Amino acid sequence: MSRINDVGGMQGFPPVAPEADEPPFHADWEAHVFALNRALIGRGVYNLDEFRDAIERMPPQRYLASSYYEKWLHAITTLLAEKGILTREEMAGG
Amino acid sequence: MAELFRPGDRVLTSRTDPPHHTRLPRYARGARGTVVERQGSHPLPDRRARQLPAEPEPVYTVRFAAAELFGEGDHTVTVDLWQSYLRPAAPEGEE
Repeated sequence: MSRINDVGGMQGFPPVAPEADEPPFHADWEAHVFALNRALIGRGVYNLDEFRDAIERMPPQRYLASSYYEKWLHAITTLLAEKGILTREEMAGG
Repeated sequence: MAELFRPGDRVLTSRTDPPHHTRLPRYARGARGTVVERQGSHPLPDRRARQLPAEPEPVYTVRFAAAELFGEGDHTVTVDLWQSYLRPAAPEGEE
């Protein structure tokens, strides 16, 4: 039942290449996702382990094609929908 | 939860392959290692991820020989592991 996040020791992945002088965020939306997650955990909407679990159960193809903060946004929307706080339709409507 | 291990103790990790979040990576399951040091107490992520009650429990840094994990390699790998993932193992050389 191991999931796509658990690839330690698996062949076929290149070395991690650190970006020189990497900024905390590569786009404004990433900072918004970061802040939103902190606020939702801080308010007790979900906890950090639920958040990590929501990332880890992403469909494998989508997980591998997503950037770091795309995974975060996926987990946030998954948890908000599952907990009945927002519907998928409401989130799609902006 | 009472502390079961001390630095230098040999431990055997769980073989469980859970269908939920865990901090015991697949490559470190069913492996023998040595406790390096205690890393405080923290609730078990496997339970918190499922919104189950989770009391703080000891977390340890455990050192493994790469050959134990991957079948080859001269280096070691250290992983921080919750006490629930660990069982006592025989001292090195007696297993």
